[in-house]
Amino acid sequence: MTLDFSAITPYLHMLLRGAVITIQASSLSLLCGSILGILVGAIRVSPFAPLRALAAGYIYVIRGTPLLIQLFLIYFGLPSLGLNLPAFTAGVIGLTINSSGYVGEIVRGGIEAVPKGQWEASKVLGLSYVHTMRFIILPQAIRNMLPAIGNEFVTLIKESSLLSTLAITELTMVGQQVRSVTYASFETFIMVGIIYLVMTSITSLALQYIEKRWTVD
Amino acid sequence: MSNNGNDSASSSFIPALEVRDLRKSFGNVSVLEGISLSVREGEVISVIGPSGSGKSTLARCICRLEEIDGGEVLLYGDRIDNGKHSNRDIARLVGMIFQQFNLFPHLSVLENIILSPVRILGNSPKAAEDKAMSLLERVGLCEKKSARPNELSGGQRQRVAIARALAMNPKIMLFDEPTSALDPELVGEVLDVIADLAQSGMTMMIITHEMLFAKEVSDRVLFMDGGKILEQGPPDSIFTSPQVPRTQLFLQRMLAHVGKELVQAHSDERTWTHDA
Ligand SMILES: Nc1ncnc2c1ncn2[C@@H]1O[C@H](COP(=O)(O)OP(=O)(O)OP(=O)(O)O)[C@@H](O)[C@H]1O
Ligand SMILES: [Mg+2]
Repeated sequence: MTLDFSAITPYLHMLLRGAVITIQASSLSLLCGSILGILVGAIRVSPFAPLRALAAGYIYVIRGTPLLIQLFLIYFGLPSLGLNLPAFTAGVIGLTINSSGYVGEIVRGGIEAVPKGQWEASKVLGLSYVHTMRFIILPQAIRNMLPAIGNEFVTLIKESSLLSTLAITELTMVGQQVRSVTYASFETFIMVGIIYLVMTSITSLALQYIEKRWTVD
Repeated sequence: MSNNGNDSASSSFIPALEVRDLRKSFGNVSVLEGISLSVREGEVISVIGPSGSGKSTLARCICRLEEIDGGEVLLYGDRIDNGKHSNRDIARLVGMIFQQFNLFPHLSVLENIILSPVRILGNSPKAAEDKAMSLLERVGLCEKKSARPNELSGGQRQRVAIARALAMNPKIMLFDEPTSALDPELVGEVLDVIADLAQSGMTMMIITHEMLFAKEVSDRVLFMDGGKILEQGPPDSIFTSPQVPRTQLFLQRMLAHVGKELVQAHSDERTWTHDA
């Protein structure tokens, strides 16, 4: 067989529009997921045992269940509790919660990698727990965490393709639409794959740049 | 140097630091077995003793890095072991210097020093910086104010750590083997700074294996073993005529390599420097 991309060129702008939705959903989820994840991670190492257990349970459940099931629970499950969310909102919430579990675990690891002496020096200098976290531990922990966070960002962009199951017109969903019109399955999904690759590559490069700058100064 | 420590001589004053029957265990291992001690304002005491005798634990209980299991710790007559004091309250009374420096690696020297004064004491950044610069001058590191800790030698790091602790205006300074992590040629510069601080009237407790330094700088020397203070007194009598067999044994071992130097040491010379 031969590849004929001319069959899908009229639909390229549709794919790109899908990619924009993918970018919107992923970056929103990345942002919210990171903030939530840092919170979860900080609670995971807090001195208060019940809170610690709660965060550990949260991370355990999220990492132990499929993202698809989490999305279904939010989009199809919550309406039975009277909570009807628009697909995009449900998708972003699902991705946010999912990535917060992974980021939370990364944050825990990053925080625990900061030497105990940093906590002790902070304490004898009068810093409270929250101050110590904010000014001493997290700035160092985030540095330790950057490579793993970068991986998580890339993973999240790829996994956002599951939003197609909620009929959100992100890249994968649009790909399916284009395929059903053109019947050029191979070309369509090669193109979709390339667009994902471009997005993940740019993200990786950007994170490598940040990582380098952060560790130099 | 100030006169020799003698507990009864200052009974009319509240001691800067008082420890009464302090007990501390880790699990079922008893590490401090009833420590009592009293330090006058301006007094410099050295704590010596074999590894594992509980010296660090004692210092850590005083600055509240460890919760105590029994007894009392008082700073200027005020009990600080009852959980009623915040980290801030303690930090204004006690400064602690660690063997491993524990500088904040992501902050510059200046930022290390002003963080607490600005965030915790509420000083203005300008005032905190001025104070920090005068402290850096005191430890001889003005030109390093913008450096990161990893650009400094061990001796410089420990001097920054001392400046950082002093920036909180503590009334008492605790040193836990401040030179043990240093290359021998860097020990002297740190001991010089500590000696100057002692001279200036700071109340200090110095845990050290530097016997010559302890002899020169302290008003009183405590020998700890097995979680107890076995012997204490003016450095001259502890080092030249220890009464307790365990002290004698410990000093014999510690002094094997410095030998006669100790006897010949003159108090007006800084005989502890290692650059001989
Ligand atoms: N956090 C801890 N948990 C369990 N045991 C501890 C802990 N800290 C200290 N210990 C034990 O308490 C004892 C006294 O330790 P400490 O560090 O106070 O001794 P030290 O006199 O400072 O010794 P060194 O000269 O080696 O520094 C040791 O047996 C040590 O193993
Ligand atoms: Mg010790």
